[in-house]
Amino acid sequence: MASVIVAIVASLFLLFIVGPVAGLVGSGGGRGLASLVSDSELRQSLSLTALTATTATFLGILGGTPIAYVLARRTFRGKALLAAIMDLPLVIPHPVAGIALLLVLGRGTTLGSALYAAGLRVAGSPTGIICAMLFVSAPLYVSAARESFARVDARFEAVARTLGDDAWRAFRRVTLPLSARGLTAAAIVMWARAVSEFGAIVILTYNPKVASVLSYDRFTAFGLQEALPVAAVLVLLALVPLAALRALRKE
Amino acid sequence: MISLRLVNSRVGHFRLTDITFDVADGGYGVVIGPAGAGKTTLLETIAGVTRATSGQIILRGEDMTTVAPERRRLGIVYQHAYLFPHLTVRENVEYGAASAADAEDAADRFGVEGLFDRAVESLSGGERQLVAIARAIAAKPEVLLLDEPFSALDPRTRGETRRQLRATYFERGFTVLQVTHDFAEAGVLGDVAIVLDRGRVVQKGDPADVFHRPVSPYLAVFLGVENVFAGTARPIRAEAPDWRDAAGDQFAELPVAFTTGALTFYALGDVVPGPAHAVIRAEEVSLSVEPSMSSMQNQFRGRIVEIVPAGALSKVTVEASGTSIVAAVTARSVRELSLDVGREIVAGFKATAVHLC
Repeated sequence: MASVIVAIVASLFLLFIVGPVAGLVGSGGGRGLASLVSDSELRQSLSLTALTATTATFLGILGGTPIAYVLARRTFRGKALLAAIMDLPLVIPHPVAGIALLLVLGRGTTLGSALYAAGLRVAGSPTGIICAMLFVSAPLYVSAARESFARVDARFEAVARTLGDDAWRAFRRVTLPLSARGLTAAAIVMWARAVSEFGAIVILTYNPKVASVLSYDRFTAFGLQEALPVAAVLVLLALVPLAALRALRKE
Repeated sequence: MISLRLVNSRVGHFRLTDITFDVADGGYGVVIGPAGAGKTTLLETIAGVTRATSGQIILRGEDMTTVAPERRRLGIVYQHAYLFPHLTVRENVEYGAASAADAEDAADRFGVEGLFDRAVESLSGGERQLVAIARAIAAKPEVLLLDEPFSALDPRTRGETRRQLRATYFERGFTVLQVTHDFAEAGVLGDVAIVLDRGRVVQKGDPADVFHRPVSPYLAVFLGVENVFAGTARPIRAEAPDWRDAAGDQFAELPVAFTTGALTFYALGDVVPGPAHAVIRAEEVSLSVEPSMSSMQNQFRGRIVEIVPAGALSKVTVEASGTSIVAAVTARSVRELSLDVGREIVAGFKATAVHLC
């Protein structure tokens, strides 16, 4: 009896997840794919999304990998604090994250105006999108990368060191190849999260529009029917990293 | 040479405290101790992969305390091999080797050249261990740190590998520090034994001496001594019998009467009167049908309560006045003396065989 109840609850939950997504793709998928050809704004928005998400992910890997490694390998005073700081963006409502970024990087701020003077406009530019994406999605990369490093026994590095490798060479020749799959998965998760970000981006950079902002814009300006194709394309786009993750795990 | 001077290090909550010992240049040191004693941490501290928080680590006369592991010219072989799983066996052996020829020579010595093109995952535990040893040797270390390197090997391979390692050791003249649980191995291999317990060196010296004269009853039990008795020691200077050694000389040490339960036996040693432990290895206990007339100072009549065959020897437990004494005798003695459970027998041991601690 209990297992029947569990099965019913689980099925309802599954339906709750699948239903809206399937409905969206079912009613807007065809038009969405067609509008990929006809709608140049959508095409531009999608390539902007892909480009900014990829750049943010690249920056996340660059800055997050050393932090993830240190968190996985070393014990030091303030480690818990560092880990908590890295998780902070995950618990802040994303529009709040956008406001916080605007406070630091907006044109009226010291840093923002200095960057502007140096020719780098943050708010209202692709750079702003990248900053928002990086802020909200990098913690996912760091925590998954940290786990990947932790799964590689430190003694592999110890052996490599005694066989003549310095720390960097041992990392490159041993730790990196052994954690590569986990790091790739972490990067994919970060990329997917960056693509789906809306709240922080919309505060920092409304224009040019990434796909999530475009779907919101179409919805508020023209209603559900106009927003549907864009939303459906976004869902289909989300399947790409999902499939990549599955393939990576199966390998 | 491996010289440690008051070395301290820490891994999590575990600490190595004031570790001091020497293994001579080209010497073979053996580290023994119960699980959790800090044996692996000790090797890792010497290797430099765990930082020494204080003290001095001197390798071949050079102070290496703060030198990076890759510049200490040493190799480490762990109990669990730690072969790089993303590389082939050949790539593993070649990893730290200066040339392919060095790798091939090392592989040849330990019989793993036939495994060269195999993936690490396809190897058995014993094969992995052999490859790990070959990998360390191929890098031509001047100090070799071995953490129970033979534990995954079957007895035949273990013997061969030990011999091969020994031959390489004599040929290359490197210094070895090996962690082992196998006391026989420690006796066979080591010039010096270092006993570690809870992060401290509790005893060090000639392996035979460590095995026969452990500093504590706990250590005696750990070292596999069968007879460890708690009791009271009493120096008997005045009333001592006139014992003499084989050459007819008087013993330098003082005679002691040791009482455990209803038994009192003689020992030699410089002890303060009071509670003590007596340690007697089973090989030092002989069995006879009648009391022997030899220089056996301690002889007790008792009854056999158990006979356990253990390899070439059998361990015979004799209960004498409520105290169990274990003797290790050959299968031939078991036959000749018609030893059997329930049989009355005399267990004897010399006063010199009793170690008091």
